[in-house]
Parts: sequence; C-alpha cells; structure tokens
Amino acid sequence: MRKPDSLSLLIFTRSWGIVILFALLFGAFSIWGFPIFGTYVNFSLILGAASISTIFAASIAMGVFSGALDLSVPGTAALSGVVMIKLLQSGVPLWLDIIAALVVGALVGLFNAFFALRGLNPLAVTIGTLSVTSGLAAIVTNGPPLFGFTGLEFIGTNQYFGLPAPFMVVAIVYIVGTVFLTQTRGGARFLAAGGNAEALRRSGVNANLYRSMGFIISGTLAAVGGIVTAAYTTQASPMAATSALFSGLTAVALSGISLAGGRGSLPKVFVGSVVISEITSILNIKNIQPFWGTVITGALLIGALYLELTIQKQVSKRVVESKNAERQQNAIAADAAEAKKQEA
Amino acid sequence: MADKAEFALSLEGINLYYGYVRALSDINLNVRPGECVALLGDNGAGKSTLLKVISGAHKPSHGVIKVHNKPVEFHSPRDSANAGIEMVYQDLALVDAQDTATNLLLGKEILRPGILGLLGFLDRKAMKEEAKREVAQLGVKIDTLTRPVEMLSGGQRQGVALARSAVRVAKKAEGILLLDEPTAALGYEQKVMVEQMIKRMVANNIAVVLVTHDLPLAFSTADRMVVLNRSRKVADVATKDTNNDEIVGWITGARATMENM
Repeated sequence: MRKPDSLSLLIFTRSWGIVILFALLFGAFSIWGFPIFGTYVNFSLILGAASISTIFAASIAMGVFSGALDLSVPGTAALSGVVMIKLLQSGVPLWLDIIAALVVGALVGLFNAFFALRGLNPLAVTIGTLSVTSGLAAIVTNGPPLFGFTGLEFIGTNQYFGLPAPFMVVAIVYIVGTVFLTQTRGGARFLAAGGNAEALRRSGVNANLYRSMGFIISGTLAAVGGIVTAAYTTQASPMAATSALFSGLTAVALSGISLAGGRGSLPKVFVGSVVISEITSILNIKNIQPFWGTVITGALLIGALYLELTIQKQVSKRVVESKNAERQQNAIAADAAEAKKQEA
Repeated sequence: MADKAEFALSLEGINLYYGYVRALSDINLNVRPGECVALLGDNGAGKSTLLKVISGAHKPSHGVIKVHNKPVEFHSPRDSANAGIEMVYQDLALVDAQDTATNLLLGKEILRPGILGLLGFLDRKAMKEEAKREVAQLGVKIDTLTRPVEMLSGGQRQGVALARSAVRVAKKAEGILLLDEPTAALGYEQKVMVEQMIKRMVANNIAVVLVTHDLPLAFSTADRMVVLNRSRKVADVATKDTNNDEIVGWITGARATMENM
C-alpha cells in the first residue's frame, strides 16, 4: 500500500507543486518582507509587474504544448512593436496598426513552421528567426527606440480595478487560451500534435496543420506581448528582450511539465510567472541586488525541469512494476487454465 | 455471410522492390468479409511489408489491390483508411498525456449541439459515454476512462489501440482490419481478450488480416493461414485442413511450397 501512496504523492507534486510553491513563498515573504510584502497594494504591483512576462510565458507555453519550443519570441515581439508604432507615427489608424502587428507575429510563426515542419531543428530555426526579426526591427526604427505616441493608454498605462491595463490583456489571453485547450476539439488536437503527432496522423487528422498552429499561435501571442510592451513602456525598442524568454520558459517549467510537449495548463503557467515576480518583489523590498533575480530564475528553470524528470522516471518505473505484477498474475492464471484443460 | 465471389480485399500479383532487393514476389491474397486470415512467416519473410502495402504506407512496384472488387491506389495511409482499411500498429500510437476517451475518439470527436458545437466545443460527457459503450462492446477491461493512457498497463494500452481501430472499422460497412502482432508483449489474460476481440470483429462481418508469430492465436482465430517465406507465398490453406507441424514446416522452409493455391 505504501508504494501507490508515494506515487500519487509524486503525481500530486507535479500537478500542484507550483500552487504550493506560490503559497509557501507568499507566506514566507510576507513574514520576511513584513509589513510591505503581504499587502494588497504590493500584490497588485506583483501582478502588474508580472503581466508582460506572463504574456510572453503564454506565447512560449502554447508553443511548448504543441511540441514547438519557439525561441524567436522576443524578436517577434520587438518587430511587431516597432511595426505598429512606425505605422501609428505615419498616421495609419490605431486599430489597423494593431492588426498589422498581429499579422507580423502570425507570419513569423508561419515562417518558423514552414522550416521546422520540413525537418529542420526547431531550436536552430527559431534562433535564426530571433536574429532575423531583431535585425529587421532595428532596420525599421533605424536604430534607436521609437518615442512619442498616444492612443495606446487603454492597454498600457491606464488602470482598471487597481490593476495596470496589461493585466486585462493577460486575463483575456489566459481565459481564451484555457477554454481553447480544455474545451474545444482544436485544443485537444493541438495537444495531441505535441504529444504524438503520428497518432494524430494515423487517426486521419492533418497533424501538420496543428503543428503549424503551435508556431503561429506562439508568434501571434509574441506580437501581443510586443504591443503591450510598447504601450506600457511608451516606447518601441528594436532590442529583443531575451530576459522575457528566460522568465517565460521558467514559468512553463515551473508549471510541472517537461518541455517535450503534449501536456500543460495555462493557469499553472500563470502561477509560475507570478512566482517569479514574487521573487523579484521581495528582492526589491529587501534591497537585494536585482541581478540575483536573474540567477534565481535560471536556477528555478533547471531545478523545475530536474524535478519533472525525476517524477517522470518514478512514474514510469511504477507503471512497469505494476505491469510486471500483472504479468505474474497472468502466468498464474495461465497455469490454472492449463491445469483445468488437462483435468478435462 | 456475403456472396462467396465477393472479396473484401484482394491482392493480385503484388511485387515490391527495395532497390535490387525483392521484398515481395507475386503475392496473391483474397480475404472475404467475415473472414480472418493469418499471415505467418519468419522474420524478414515479408509479412509486415505486405501489411504496409495494404495499409498504403508502401506502394507496390507491380500488382493490383482491390477493395470489394474495385481496384484502388493508395498514396498514403489516409487513402486506405478512406477505403475502409484500419491498421493497428505494433507501436501503438497513443497520445500518452490524454485519457482513454480522447484517444479512442481522436479525429472523430463529439461536439456539443448548437452554437458551441459550431465553435468547436467538445461534448466531454457524450465522448466519455461513447468511449464507455465502445470499450464495453469490445470486452476490454479498463478501470477508468479518465486516466491518462500513460498510467495504464501494457495490456490496457493494447486494448485501447485495438479498440480505436476496431471501432472505426466497425462503423464502416464491411471494413477491413489489419493487425500487426497484436499480442506481442501481452500477458495471458490480455491475449484472451485480444482473441475474443478478433472473433467478435469477424462475427460482425469484418475482414481481418492478422500478422503474428503467435501460432496458438492464429489457430484459434483464423479461418485461413497464409505463409510467406523469403518474400514468396508458400502456403494458403484453410485452418481446418492443416496443423501446427505443417505450418511450422512452411515457415521454416522445411516443407515444399503448396501447389494449386
């Protein structure tokens, strides 16, 4: 009886570890950072600070779920942002600029998908795209960031219910994404494409369509991140913010999945992203050098993946053990059947 | 039983070359609806290659494939699936992280009625019920349909993979089911389960082609035995007219090729 219990404990850790980690850190930091950390104001600051990296986390997560680790996200974001602002500054109406930025993101995703599906290593392809897009972004701005525009306050510097506007974008992205993944046929096939594209193909579904969708959704969400970044910081920088890639990837790993694809939950990625922001906040409050945040993010990424690997190994070991037990029982059953036959 | 002259599947003069190697030479094979044909032979005899030709994974160099007396040409497994042929592969091709119901209904998910359905929303409850019904119909024992299949035992995973193809083939009138080593690595109880599942499919007028090394399984389920040896067909005989020793003789090549097949 002991073994199945420890197995379910491991699975519980994988499923809910991030929520427990969030609660533990929140409790510990509330005491350590008393009286500042545990207040509503600080919590809304944490959520606000997390919002932009949370959008990038969603972008990376959707790629990972469908089996595509997209490293071009920061470059796509930068390119989409500068394209939008450049158009805005040339007098094109705002709604058209936003659509143009989203289309740029989707096209970059399509570009990645085209080469990755032809068998090139997706990591190499998306790193190449990262370089291409950030270069193009710099070409668009001629070097320095673009300043001085208005109209984007509604997703940038405004506040709703005491939370910064980007948080509303986060809410929409995560709610729509979660409904898509858990409730729709497209979502089920999207996850299946990440888990076992061959199974999907043999079921008569165009698996490549769903694999491409991973890159395209990832690219489009990267564009959303780029738009919100420009709105929030009131400038469009052609520099690809690679730190968003690291914290996004860490948030995905903290949500308790391997980066192999086929599984995942956006709400947990959200919690993972907030955990990283919690850590940044306490470092601020305690006046600790912010560079430690970068160190901790990297360590968390590796630690979370290592924990996931350990749990995965344990789970498959247990499944094999139960299979062996089943086989023994079967051997006994076979002997019994044989004996019966001989009697008859 | 359908008209005797009507074959669900017939292969005429199938040849396949891999470069200069002849993997299949002049294979003729007929399978009637409601008939199970066991395809036997040693490793490398060409059984799996022949199965891949039927399933559309390989294109024959020469020869004709007919499904219900109509010549067909397969360019991909999808073409053969459209013609009513389902194959259960040795590697089961399940989506590990998803549950039995989702795996069973992959590619033919049930949508909710109304506007939500048009938007692609799944009817999880109906899917679970449908999966439960299908699994029960096939006599597969699976404790919980909502557990990810990676948590199931080998036998249960085999059951899910078999059930998936079996259900699809049963939906089409007079379908054809190809099984590649369905009992490899299975325990006694699961073997019995697979055996019963094959018998049930045959009783439902499905044509079954069974590739196996498991002679007891072949004898208990097949109406006819076809033996391949070094890419050629060496025997094609009704199960009731032969015995274990003869079959082993053909498989190993110790016995001369049958005449008038």
